[in-house]
Amino acid sequence: MLSINQLKNHTVFRDLLVSLSLFTCCLCFGVNSSAQEATETKIDKMQLMEAMSLTSNAFRSAVEKIRPSLVTIESFGGVSAVQGRIGGIRKQGEGNTTGILISKEGHIVTSSFNFITSPPVITVITSDGERRVAKLLGRDETRKICLLKLNPFPGIQLPEIAPLNEITVGQWAISVGVGYGDANPAVSTGIISAKNRIGGRAIQTDANTSPANYGGPLLDIEGRVTGICVPLNPQNQAVGAGVEWYDSGIGFAIPLDGAAELIERLKTGERIYPGRLGIRMEANPDGSGGIRVVEVVPKSAASEAGLGHGDIIRKLNDKEVADQMELRKIMFQLEAGDEVTIVFDSHLEEKSMSATVKLGKPPAPKDDAPPMEPPKIR
Amino acid sequence: MMSPRTMLMVAIGVLAMLAVSIDSDRLRADETNFVSAAIDIAQPKMVKVYGASAGRVEGYATGIAVSDDGKILTTQGVFLDGNQVKIVTADGVSHNASILKRDREHQLALLQIAAKTPDYFSIQSEEVGTKGDFVVAVCNAFKVADKQEPLSATLGVISLRTSIEARLNERDVAYRGDLVLIDQITSNPGAAGGAVITIEGQMVGLIGKIINSSETNTRLNYAIPNSVIHEFINSDPAKAETAKVVYEKVDLGIKLFAHGGRNSPAYIDRVKRGSPAHKAKLRSDDLLISVAGEKIGNVKDYQATLKTLRADEEAIIVVKRGTELLRVTIVPRKASE
Repeated sequence: MLSINQLKNHTVFRDLLVSLSLFTCCLCFGVNSSAQEATETKIDKMQLMEAMSLTSNAFRSAVEKIRPSLVTIESFGGVSAVQGRIGGIRKQGEGNTTGILISKEGHIVTSSFNFITSPPVITVITSDGERRVAKLLGRDETRKICLLKLNPFPGIQLPEIAPLNEITVGQWAISVGVGYGDANPAVSTGIISAKNRIGGRAIQTDANTSPANYGGPLLDIEGRVTGICVPLNPQNQAVGAGVEWYDSGIGFAIPLDGAAELIERLKTGERIYPGRLGIRMEANPDGSGGIRVVEVVPKSAASEAGLGHGDIIRKLNDKEVADQMELRKIMFQLEAGDEVTIVFDSHLEEKSMSATVKLGKPPAPKDDAPPMEPPKIR
Repeated sequence: MMSPRTMLMVAIGVLAMLAVSIDSDRLRADETNFVSAAIDIAQPKMVKVYGASAGRVEGYATGIAVSDDGKILTTQGVFLDGNQVKIVTADGVSHNASILKRDREHQLALLQIAAKTPDYFSIQSEEVGTKGDFVVAVCNAFKVADKQEPLSATLGVISLRTSIEARLNERDVAYRGDLVLIDQITSNPGAAGGAVITIEGQMVGLIGKIINSSETNTRLNYAIPNSVIHEFINSDPAKAETAKVVYEKVDLGIKLFAHGGRNSPAYIDRVKRGSPAHKAKLRSDDLLISVAGEKIGNVKDYQATLKTLRADEEAIIVVKRGTELLRVTIVPRKASE
């Protein structure tokens, strides 16, 4: 019989072993006859211990595999210029943040959480130890990711991206980040908890995601990137929302597989915001479904559409709006600037009406500080 | 605050794989579940610590026996500041404890009870466990366990071995030195003083008191490593309080823009003629990026880092000028009084 000890140091077999280690051990030894029970149980125990230690090896190799693409992001000004809380949520720390290189041209994907206050100066330390000046390009506030750009340099190593259809609930998930201030990345492990969260944008994990690794990768056991760790909260779209769950066992990551089109948009510097209708609402009290408009924000998409107090929204983009949850689900699919067709019962006109308008963007958080500008050159 | 994932991890990592392929009647849990064996080794060595509380700060913690004659290791905390500290050993018996010594730098405390503690952790100075290794934290977070009830165990991995550099007097750091970051959540009331062990039952470190990292604005989950607690336990009580290192004041001849207070980026306003900065060819409007390897995020960072420089010892400064990053060597001089 081949000993796992022999195989452990054999790199050819390592990847195969580590990914299968936990389950194969059990499967191999689970079919022994009861006559051999006493000996086999002892082997099981050792094999399981071995499997666990191989799993730890796999965690380490996964981190080592991503390290050449991992970068440390430093912000100057802006970040610590804001005291206390942002958008009602605890502010980001003063430390460095994490990103990963995704193109030979020097594009880095990271979390927009790391740039809530638009720092005027951003530098990036790449895995070769060099510090480089970075430029902030577009940001997608619906996913809390953004793109940085470095001048291209030789030797950029790109990460392997895990295909979305290969990511399964229950598989190992490894979050990696340099936010604790050590160039050596910290690791946290867990499993993929769910897919298709937050309007299909995110995967969910119970590996720790926190300001220490927002912008950093969530890896599978083979070191492939399953997503970018970001703070998200399906009930709240404020800029810092989701951070409050940093030690709750609920974390999110944005898959990179299938994000090519989005990345192209961000390369142009585009800013993507969640779509906003601009209403306060309640359940339709007459029980016939739909939602009743309580208040309309001036100059919002809702006011453009002619919505007013007491109107009942029936359909959004041809989808029945049964209740507020349904509305939120539809809105999650949309972003600011998207056109929506609203079908509603007008309270004043006493008839069904339809209007097509463009969604607005959410207001800037009230306690957001003005961005810091470098002093004028005299 | 609490993480349900810890128990889930146990389930996924160990039990689920047993359930998949092995009939439960063929294997007894005690023969296969080495994690539980590791926890069983730890439990008799663990104690519950109760003392004074202050406002919303909880008056309880966890501790470990570190000798057979009743020496108990725990962390500093308000629970030590009252008239009485009580230790409940694993057998549920309550003992009065006296404080043998305390250490401010590492926030540790060694207590003594008048009873034998035949089960104890023999603390060695060797470090155990590396990044990615599975570890179990055993502690009495939220006082869930009472009297002889065993403490709560959670499974996670070592996130990173790192250190918190000397900033003891800063508001947010109550610890300095090496630490072992772990990924289960131990930053909860009462967890401090608990044990972090490998799944083989070896000691990795002692759960430290709750500290908030200014780097991330989050609480750290960490253990104080073996080497540190070994040194503390074996130190001379009179010398347990470490002397503060005082550096000579140095001057670089840099005046920073002060328009936005200590949190503004560290742009150079003026460079004194003939000063070290002038010799290093630094200029007005250069933005300090790093000094002596420390990132200078703002004016405050610069002031803190300046204190660590020594006269006549070369230091590297990185500045941003336009879109370029420049590296210069500077030789600080003694500040004139």
